[in-house]
Amino acid sequence: MGNQTLAGKTMKRRDFLKLSIAGLATTTIAATTMRNKASGPVGDSPHKWAMVIDQSKCNGCGYCVDACRACNDVAPDKAWTRLIAQEPEEERDVYLPVPCMQCADAPCVDICPVGASYYRPDGIVMMDYDKCIGCRYCELACPYHARSFNWKAFTEGNPAVPDWGQPEVARRPRGVVEKCAFCYQRIDRGLAMGLTPGVDEQATPACVVACPPGARVFGDLNDPESQVSQLLAGNCSYRLREDLGTEPRVYYLPVQAEEEAACHDNV
Amino acid sequence: MSRQRLGFLRNSFTWWVAFLLLLIVSGLAAGILVFARGLQVTNLTDLVPWGLWIGIDLSSIALAAGAFSISAIVYLLKVKKLLPVAKTAVFLGLIGYTMAVLTLLLDIGRPDRFWHAMAYWNIHSPLWEVTMCVTLYLAVLTLEVTPIVGNSDIMQNRWPKMGRKMGSVHKLAPVLAVVGLCLSMMHQTSLGVTYGVIRARPAWDRSSLAVLFIVSAVAAGPAMVIFASHVAARMTSKAKINQDLLNTIAKYIGWVLIVYLFLRVWDLLYLSFSTDPGRGDSLFYLTQGPLAVNCWLGEMIIGIIIPIIILLVPHWRQNPRLQMLAAAMVVIGLILYRWDTNMVGQMVVFSYLPQATTPLFTSYLPSFVEIAAGLGVVAYGILAFTLGVRYLRVVDHTEVHEHETAQPMPVPMLSGD
Repeated sequence: MGNQTLAGKTMKRRDFLKLSIAGLATTTIAATTMRNKASGPVGDSPHKWAMVIDQSKCNGCGYCVDACRACNDVAPDKAWTRLIAQEPEEERDVYLPVPCMQCADAPCVDICPVGASYYRPDGIVMMDYDKCIGCRYCELACPYHARSFNWKAFTEGNPAVPDWGQPEVARRPRGVVEKCAFCYQRIDRGLAMGLTPGVDEQATPACVVACPPGARVFGDLNDPESQVSQLLAGNCSYRLREDLGTEPRVYYLPVQAEEEAACHDNV
Repeated sequence: MSRQRLGFLRNSFTWWVAFLLLLIVSGLAAGILVFARGLQVTNLTDLVPWGLWIGIDLSSIALAAGAFSISAIVYLLKVKKLLPVAKTAVFLGLIGYTMAVLTLLLDIGRPDRFWHAMAYWNIHSPLWEVTMCVTLYLAVLTLEVTPIVGNSDIMQNRWPKMGRKMGSVHKLAPVLAVVGLCLSMMHQTSLGVTYGVIRARPAWDRSSLAVLFIVSAVAAGPAMVIFASHVAARMTSKAKINQDLLNTIAKYIGWVLIVYLFLRVWDLLYLSFSTDPGRGDSLFYLTQGPLAVNCWLGEMIIGIIIPIIILLVPHWRQNPRLQMLAAAMVVIGLILYRWDTNMVGQMVVFSYLPQATTPLFTSYLPSFVEIAAGLGVVAYGILAFTLGVRYLRVVDHTEVHEHETAQPMPVPMLSGD
């Protein structure tokens, strides 16, 4: 073993080290870019979408459910937004419309084994229907029962079409879990057309557009002038199961807010 | 002549295998129905999405825990005399994990995407960790079973070269024991975490489930090994047990059960110290409601207390019949514990409605297809063990082992019987 070989060996080792570092760096960069492509980090968007539902205005007509069913092509045996009748208050019927809460700290995103539930940069909790393996763990984890599993294929006609609108997204296959995504397709298309979600109907979730008494309001929390920001600034509001720390982006204005203004009654 | 040809019909082994095959075929039919028509053939719902199959899954993984615990005792604590029992344990382990994988394939909505957890990682998900560990551990178990197959009479007689090669994998055993211990500790615990992190279901939301899952598995896995060995020895002369070795393991189970009992009671008391209405209702459901018989009689008395008494009184422990009974009881107790844990969180769903303090009560009974498919999987496991006992001699605790020689020698088999 001469010096030559030793030097050669050292060089080789150094080259190898350099190569490994370069390789590692490339992989890291590639992985990061790929992840950015799939879904950018939350907060990377100028928008933060939220919905405010005024229970004092909701009359339980259920138009939101039908409009959602048509636009998102939801099968009759499930509903992405549900309407729950609550205890009547002072002879007045009280309803609770429940879409996906679009939690900022969503249990479904945390626990999905394959990352099929993920956040969009603007905070919308999305489902990747091509990744979902149908284990239904998210159904157990969601405190709001916002998710439905496709126990069978939805092949029949949609009874809500065409009266309530036209399907804007693809039907989900059998064996995956599905849920409301704040009509992201309307938001994205609207923004591309220069419209303002929450103001222009074409850029606003179907349930908000369909609501006759205007109980549902949609908009950008990052915009202090938006209707949602204004409503939340000027009224008492609550969110469902705030004790769980899920930070929902669906806010409710309670029925009794006008007179009693019982902000401390928040749930 | 014809009497001789039909002689196999008088052989109980034939009938036993035929019976198991019948169950497997009906399970296969049910499985094909599930794949063809989807999970609508089950009685699962959006509120109770995890049912009988998850119960089989959890139980077969927990009952396979004998593989890692006895391997660890043999190779890490160097209790070499238990080596022949480790062989039984490892074989049962492989059966348990393949059963779990089969049931999971039935249970997920998109079985064609079973590989997604390998490709798309979500390191925050306990279920992802479980899937990864189970897959890796399945590979470990396969390697651990390879020498058993390699040293079998069939391999040695027909393909002796191949058999020797497979037998030499035995050299890896100590490494595999360490890897298996790590992977098993991780996912047996994480199965409890899978439930424990679900804040939406008040019955589960606590960290103690992780500890209870691993401790109960460490008790029930070896109990399964003892039970299966005893049953095999009673059924066929091909299975030979060494009562002395089983007594050692039985005593160990007894002590683990005491730890388990302590943790279990502590956990129940801990559940009662809660102002969460959903949690109080879950506790009621478990201890006084529909699951109370399972919980007190099944899990506590049959599953823990009676086995502790039998296994820790030397005179009773050394009685093969009583020992087998106690092991069976531990196994039953574990299955009921997994079943009840899975069920109670889904039976009592705390409402998200404002001011609503009454939880939603749900119900679930498996459908015929679920039962048929489940029985098929269980029958596969029993058949695999039956064939293993007959052809691979997986229950032969009288084997002579030479001490840790460095030579890659195949483990010598006692020939002839």
